Amino acid sequence: MDLAELTGHIAPVAFGIATIGPAIGVGLVVGKTVEAVARQPELQGRLTGLMFLGIAFTEALAFIGIAVAFIPFP
Amino acid sequence: MTVVPMLKRTLVLDALLAVAIAVVGGGIGLWVAGTPGVLGAVIGAALTFVFMGLTALTVILAARTTKGDLLSPLFFGIVLGGWMVKLAIFLVVAIVFGRSPAIDPLVLFFTVVASVVGSLAIDVYAFMTSRMGYVSDVKLPHETGDSTPPKSSPKADESSD
Repeated sequence: MDLAELTGHIAPVAFGIATIGPAIGVGLVVGKTVEAVARQPELQGRLTGLMFLGIAFTEALAFIGIAVAFIPFP
Repeated sequence: MTVVPMLKRTLVLDALLAVAIAVVGGGIGLWVAGTPGVLGAVIGAALTFVFMGLTALTVILAARTTKGDLLSPLFFGIVLGGWMVKLAIFLVVAIVFGRSPAIDPLVLFFTVVASVVGSLAIDVYAFMTSRMGYVSDVKLPHETGDSTPPKSSPKADESSD
């Protein structure tokens, strides 16, 4: 089978590739926050807020990946 | 959980932003691409609101369910479950609107990017302007309705250097 003959919808593939980086990023953000809360539980309130800000910025990249999947490439 | 009021505020501001971007983007979409442009702008704004808002919504639900325990497995289960819902929504949208001539994909793309950038700006604004105590689950005086100072305030750590 020739790879060039493959047809179909490429958008989910683009989304899948675009989520790899943000997935690692969100994992790092959450993991480091859990680590920090375990070290200093009294800072949980502020660390949680920063964590969600970090998650929002990181997952925005994945969401732009979704948008790119809709661009009509020739 | 002290972060919940901030997230509620973010949700409200995100909804207002989605409406504003749908109106402005719809106008520009109508100008450049006609009716498919309007539909692309509306779907783009709605999709961004759902995707960016679902995280905040799941965190609020998780905080309510686990009573603010960040280290509870149920907390992360609810938040990550919300992301599975996002994946399902994306697949449905990609299948229904992926190659549909009813929407203009370029208008949808620019609407989504503008909404994401605006939503991030709102997140930062809500975070910077919210009152967050260093101690989680603390009731601030305006939340309890009690204006009298506490009888015994915790002493500052004087022994630390």
